[in-house]
Amino acid sequence: MKFSISKNELLPSLQQVVGVVERKQTHEVMNNLLFEAGDDFLMITGTDNEVEQRTRLPLIVSEPGVSTIPARKLLDICRSLPDTAHLDFQVSADKAKIATGKSRFTLATLPAEEFPLVDALTDPVVMSLPQKQLAKAIRMTSFAMAQQDVRYYLNGLLLELSADSLCCVATDGHRLALHRTPAEIELAEPVTAIIPRKAINELSRLLDDSDSDLEIKMTANHLQLSLGPLQMTSKLIDGKFPDYERVIPLPGGSIATVDRESFKQSLARSAILANETYKGVRLSLDKNLVGIQTNNPNHEEAEDELEIEYSGSPVQVGFNVTYLLDVLNIIDGDVAELHLKDDASSMVVHPGGDKQSTYVIMPMRL
Amino acid sequence: MDAFYASVEQRDNPALRGRPVAVGGRPDSRGVVAACSYEARQFGVHSAMSSAQAARQCSGLVFVAPRFEVYRGISAEIHEIFQRHTSIIEPLSLDEAYLDVTTNRMNEASGTRVAQALKQSILQSTGLVASAGVSYNKFLAKVASDYDKPDGLCVIPPERAQGFIDALDIKRFYGIGKVTAARLRNAGVHTGADLRAQSLPGLQALLGSSATFYYQLARGLDERPVSPNRVRKSIGSETTFNSNVTDIEQMQSILRRLSNEVSESLVKRELLAGTVTIKVRYPDFTTVSRSYSPAVALQSASAIGEIVCMLLARTRAVEESVRLLGVTASGLIASDEIEMRQIEFRFQPDAQ
Repeated sequence: MKFSISKNELLPSLQQVVGVVERKQTHEVMNNLLFEAGDDFLMITGTDNEVEQRTRLPLIVSEPGVSTIPARKLLDICRSLPDTAHLDFQVSADKAKIATGKSRFTLATLPAEEFPLVDALTDPVVMSLPQKQLAKAIRMTSFAMAQQDVRYYLNGLLLELSADSLCCVATDGHRLALHRTPAEIELAEPVTAIIPRKAINELSRLLDDSDSDLEIKMTANHLQLSLGPLQMTSKLIDGKFPDYERVIPLPGGSIATVDRESFKQSLARSAILANETYKGVRLSLDKNLVGIQTNNPNHEEAEDELEIEYSGSPVQVGFNVTYLLDVLNIIDGDVAELHLKDDASSMVVHPGGDKQSTYVIMPMRL
Repeated sequence: MDAFYASVEQRDNPALRGRPVAVGGRPDSRGVVAACSYEARQFGVHSAMSSAQAARQCSGLVFVAPRFEVYRGISAEIHEIFQRHTSIIEPLSLDEAYLDVTTNRMNEASGTRVAQALKQSILQSTGLVASAGVSYNKFLAKVASDYDKPDGLCVIPPERAQGFIDALDIKRFYGIGKVTAARLRNAGVHTGADLRAQSLPGLQALLGSSATFYYQLARGLDERPVSPNRVRKSIGSETTFNSNVTDIEQMQSILRRLSNEVSESLVKRELLAGTVTIKVRYPDFTTVSRSYSPAVALQSASAIGEIVCMLLARTRAVEESVRLLGVTASGLIASDEIEMRQIEFRFQPDAQ
């Protein structure tokens, strides 16, 4: 395999696919990127065996071929070169030689046959949906996904699509984020999938607020989408997402309307003196007032007070302050609505006026 | 102490006296009963039972939230009373302890009179009733203390020990849970006398590595010292099968039962588990374990059960089949040390 390419062409492509390459891989070859050179294109692929990223760039190739090249090292080399650099690749059986200006690099390669590629999806459901809406739904919910939970189906985002609605749900068992929006989706039958955390993180990076439509292919085990030259394929989590409707309280209880920014700042300063492990904060709601209180085992404590709109009965309830801040940081709007019942019931948070996003947070026992 | 938390609540709130009282989670929560009054026990309510179940069984049951600070205060008060007699105290929980009074600060030769003095002082100082068991080792003292609750004082002198043990139901032996008891009963061992009739090899087949311990207990021998600094590191329950288990659903149901037992012990000792471990032994005797440390320490049988069933999937149990399954809770934290506890979503209705 032999080809020449400018740094300015190569670097963005490497950056697109290197995100999925884990620092610790189970198989040596997954530390590498797969290079496939045809007569007039170069395809670069990175994988962690769960998410696969492929990008294709047009290139006149002098000698087609395939091989795998260490991902991080190649990226670091490429980054460190001057912007005007032009790289000549010459890849033989077990080595990749790169020449640029007066610099020479020889990298150890591994055979392309060892590189695990996802097979072409068979009989996928093909759908087209507005990129902007999917990007927003992911942004509004993905923070609540679990991380390395033994309940593996929580380590991802539930995506529910039908012809007229798009819904994303994430929960770690203590808090839940849901975003449901009317959407025009070209889709015959509703589909549901749990997309793993890693793929969601990549999607958050890749998707933007453009009005263009996004084509998604889905099978029982995979999701695939293409964005310009990039194609991402992710395994789906094979499991049953919990019945999330069960834990969303029905309307009822008292509603407090808070200024989002003031509440956020007040919680952030109080959080400094919260118990470092449990991060508990005590909220005391009374007529048009919320008291915010934290303390820690060193007998340090913080107290704050904020004017709010509230006419319900007095309530004292504890929460993990991180969960409250996560929600207040992600939602838009000047005000947030808090729906509370008592110190043992979950609280629902809505961004002021926006009923598309719903957040449910379980309390802490004080 | 007899029905400790519940008695404290009845002491402090006259309206609760004479009524069935459960201290613990509310029946509409996923909570469990931490303690209940003798009035509640008549309805079959017992500690570690789910609050929902307890409420169904006893319609007049009054639920009271636990006040660990108060209990801890009383526990310290009782401990001070103990200290007047001996410094060799091994607390089992807030309301239960072994005391070695062989030599004691009052120079009282009779263990019975020490016990009488302790009960009297506790009643005077706290208004609460305690039961005491007196004997020459831990096993018999513990059995004696449970013998005629409430307000009991049971003495087992050496010359009466063997007769007492022989008549003892097998499930009253230290460490014999429901499962082991059932296995022993299947083998015709119902009482201490039946146990003593077994040969050591016979017991080894039934009880494995703990056979020697029970062989000695049956003969009134228990050399375990009262150790003031004993801290429990883990709580576990395991079971070996007569024939290898191959069915995953059967494994899961066994794991849920073991989780239940572990949870009961945790509740009884006021502990939460920071880590849950599953132990699997394959037919070729290779043994593997898988652990998980949830973000928040837990106690409930359903939470532990859910985790161990997940951990089972990380073993080759289904491919290989299993001859032993075990569940262990470690990283133990006293539940009253946790000032704040995150409440979990209930995605599923509680199991009945």
